[in-house]
Amino acid sequence: MNEHQGYEDRLPLYAAGQLEAHERAEMEQHLQACAECRADLELWRAVGTQVMISSSQVSAPPDLAERALRRLHAPSPLHRALLQAASLLRAQAYLVRREMWPASALLMGIGTLVTYLSGKIEFIYFIAPLVAAASLASIYGPEHDPASELTLATPTSPWKVLLARLTLVHAYNLCLALAASLFLLLLIPPDLLGKLILGWLGPMTFLSALALLLSLWIGTGNSIAIAYGLWLVQFPRYEMVLNPSTSAALTPILDAYRQFWGSPLLLIGLGILVLVIALWAVGRSAPRKICAQI
Amino acid sequence: MPDEAYDYSLVRRMAAGDEAAMHELYAAYGQRLYAYALRLTSEPARAEDVVQDVLVAAWKSARRFRGEGRVIAWLLGIVHHLALKSLRHSSQPLTEEIEEMLEAGFPSPEQQVESAEQAARVRAGLRSLSPEHRSMLELIFYQGLSLEEAAQVCRVPLGTAKSRLSYARRHLRGILARQGMEDVG
Repeated sequence: MNEHQGYEDRLPLYAAGQLEAHERAEMEQHLQACAECRADLELWRAVGTQVMISSSQVSAPPDLAERALRRLHAPSPLHRALLQAASLLRAQAYLVRREMWPASALLMGIGTLVTYLSGKIEFIYFIAPLVAAASLASIYGPEHDPASELTLATPTSPWKVLLARLTLVHAYNLCLALAASLFLLLLIPPDLLGKLILGWLGPMTFLSALALLLSLWIGTGNSIAIAYGLWLVQFPRYEMVLNPSTSAALTPILDAYRQFWGSPLLLIGLGILVLVIALWAVGRSAPRKICAQI
Repeated sequence: MPDEAYDYSLVRRMAAGDEAAMHELYAAYGQRLYAYALRLTSEPARAEDVVQDVLVAAWKSARRFRGEGRVIAWLLGIVHHLALKSLRHSSQPLTEEIEEMLEAGFPSPEQQVESAEQAARVRAGLRSLSPEHRSMLELIFYQGLSLEEAAQVCRVPLGTAKSRLSYARRHLRGILARQGMEDVG
């Protein structure tokens, strides 16, 4: 770097008043001899003036420190989301039909007792999906929610309301069925508990999801009737009432149908898919419903 | 202007959770932080968000501040980083934002400088510089940072900081010369 280049580099710092005394003296000596640097100094001073003018006229809002502290005190997004979810669940717990809670518990209790007394463990597979389907079919819609108009008019999306109720009721049904399964350990060895749970979990998830989806379109009563029909149709012994040729023709179809209801992982997957469709349908149809109600 | 020992004590108090220290820090440097954020973002609302983010970041990282440089340089470094990050997420091109701000922010040259014509030319020249070059001028001329500090704030080597100043000089000189010739023509 030649000597002139060094002065040229330090010129803006000189114009900004940032050089030490001895550097300033050297610069001033150089400036006397260098016309190019004198012209540059004029430029840098003009630049400095403009920069100073524009920035010094800016006034900062007085409350930014306060706002920053408020942000620091605010709960984290995850914490806030959890609080909102808890608040929504609490609010929706009051809006789900009150009789549903004891009715489901009573039915499940009776089913468990019958299973225990009869010693036929299959009965719990039979009853758990029916209880869950009936309760989920009656969690949403004007006929079950006296405040549905108000619910639709609130900023909370209808699909969130449905999801909250679904979570509450499905969790409740799961707890009931789990409690029943634990009670039935009196009948079965502990290593069969997982199989027992999987046995009712798949049908319960799919059937209750289907009942919920149907209830959004055709009402609670119809949806329960269809869901129950789909579930019960696998149980009768058709060979006792049908002629042998018809019965023989139906057997492979019925076997496949029974196998479907006996595939827990497939049923859980399908159940989740149906629930997603139900949430999507509620999100789409809510504005139309509220218009219709008005 | 607060001295360095006082600044370091503010940061230490912030690290210890003293909220009054945050208010004192903002009282001491808020205007400069906001001016630099506005210089980079050109939008008052965005600049406010940036300064808020800077204060939050300073509060959270106060424990890690090692006192190797001036507190203002540390804070301006956070402003620089967060403002550019904010602009990268913006759909508006960077240069237009800065140009709009400079247009709105500069006072009338007649009121502010002796030579209105020269001020107008310098202003036009500043408008045509990139944000990186303009931020260097802001740090040197308004924020009073040394070249080393300005380089640290912009997270570039010292040589790059020098070359940015050199480029700004050549660019402004070229613009002034062209406009001067046009005026004569």
